[in-house]
Amino acid sequence: MRVAGFRDRTAVAGVGYTRFSKNSGVSTLTLACEAILAALEDAGLTADDVDGLATHRVGDSAAPSVVGPALGVHRPSWHLDQFGGGSVSHAVIGQAALAVAAGVAETVVCYRAINARSEFRMGGTGRGLPVSPEVQYQAPYGYVAPPQQYAMFARAHMAKYGTKEEHFGQLAVRQRASAAKNPRALMRTPITLDDYLASRWIAEPFRLLDCCLETDGACALVITTAERARDLRRPPVLISAAAWGGGDSFLSGGPSDVTTTAAAELAPRLYRQAGIGPAEIDVAEVYDCFTYSVVVQLEDYGFCAKGEGGPYAASGEGVPVNTHGGFLSEGYVHGVNHVAEAVSQLRGDAGDRQVDGAEVALSTAQPGYILPATSALVLRKG
Amino acid sequence: MSAEATRRIRPVTDRDSAAWWERVRAGELTVQRCDSCGTRRFPARAYCHRCRTAGWSWEAVEPAGRIESWIVSHQPFLPGVREPYVVVMVRPAGAPECVMYGNWRGAEPPHTGQRAEAVFVRVDDELTLIDWRPAD
Repeated sequence: MRVAGFRDRTAVAGVGYTRFSKNSGVSTLTLACEAILAALEDAGLTADDVDGLATHRVGDSAAPSVVGPALGVHRPSWHLDQFGGGSVSHAVIGQAALAVAAGVAETVVCYRAINARSEFRMGGTGRGLPVSPEVQYQAPYGYVAPPQQYAMFARAHMAKYGTKEEHFGQLAVRQRASAAKNPRALMRTPITLDDYLASRWIAEPFRLLDCCLETDGACALVITTAERARDLRRPPVLISAAAWGGGDSFLSGGPSDVTTTAAAELAPRLYRQAGIGPAEIDVAEVYDCFTYSVVVQLEDYGFCAKGEGGPYAASGEGVPVNTHGGFLSEGYVHGVNHVAEAVSQLRGDAGDRQVDGAEVALSTAQPGYILPATSALVLRKG
Repeated sequence: MSAEATRRIRPVTDRDSAAWWERVRAGELTVQRCDSCGTRRFPARAYCHRCRTAGWSWEAVEPAGRIESWIVSHQPFLPGVREPYVVVMVRPAGAPECVMYGNWRGAEPPHTGQRAEAVFVRVDDELTLIDWRPAD
């Protein structure tokens, strides 16, 4: 990608949510439509303005080819139905920005609608197995679910670097405190480190409070050109950089070090595109399917040295992380709610949880532990 | 901790992997070895990820390795499986660039770096799985 041709040329012009719950009582199609209409209203646009639709899903949710007609978007000039989980959540938005920057579409809606608690348990075993030929070497041993997979890598990090369960716990406590300031958050009752340590085991070394929520809800973003966004209702938030990463699979004779993720390879390209480094990031919304995924990404995105992610995350003294409470406490909308929170922080409308003077934000996808792919965005106040 | 209790999902083999599972059934732990550059790989697939050539041979490796990491799974992810069980991630001694998974057959929990040996567990006529236990 020619950096100069992409940086800050597109923008997020609108954000929309449904209510988050454990049982929406409605279809993912209904959730998608509600969030998209809210995002368009936020931008001061209507569905008549939409010429592109994009989502990621794992066979669990309404496709663009269903959502478009349902909203009267009959002739989109661009669409994307990306198979995949959290690792591609930011890739979808990056691809929409590429389409807009290239002039293929002008107003793209990116959405994720999910009944991850009441219909399709994302943390369980029903998520579209097998997505990889490697599943056959894992599932017979009862190794089937994301909490187990992440716990395996967390244990390796603990053994190599002395990362402690209390580090994970302090992070969970702090994200809950952030959620207490977020009216959208599902879990707003403060917790203590003792609460964390007393929560039941899911897969040692993970307890219940290491794991994200499973949520019903939807979130949508309107992507358009930076130029057009300046004429719309809300302050534009520019897409400074979008990066995709891949790498090795942990069963395929690839990495010798299971404590480093594909994000470590992606991060330098992302920062180069944005023309900044981690020191310039004012707020980071970091994919927190589990506490450990934040710890390892704080290292791999360069906020602290390798191996120091545990103490760094526990201290709360570095970059503000997951200001909305994250998946652990706000809700799980598969990555899109992290981008939406970054937009809110850069607009300066995050209320009690606003990071003063936030001008540049990082938002990240699942860092590539389960399948070797990841993605991330740098956003900038317009 | 019952390893058998976890065995509710049979492996769905494919055209790349079926021969590997056959060898496990015969009591052999193998990886593929590239005929051109010697790189070992697992799981089974047609091309070498290093030199991208297609010639390869099965290589039997010592049924032993080291524990890379491990978990104790408590949540009943599988219907009917209630009791905790240990899953280990192992680097085979003869192919430490690869990792394999299995259940742990040890009186004590494993520890990272521990030496382990493979246990071939015959499930039925069609299927044998590989567990791991402490090496003496």
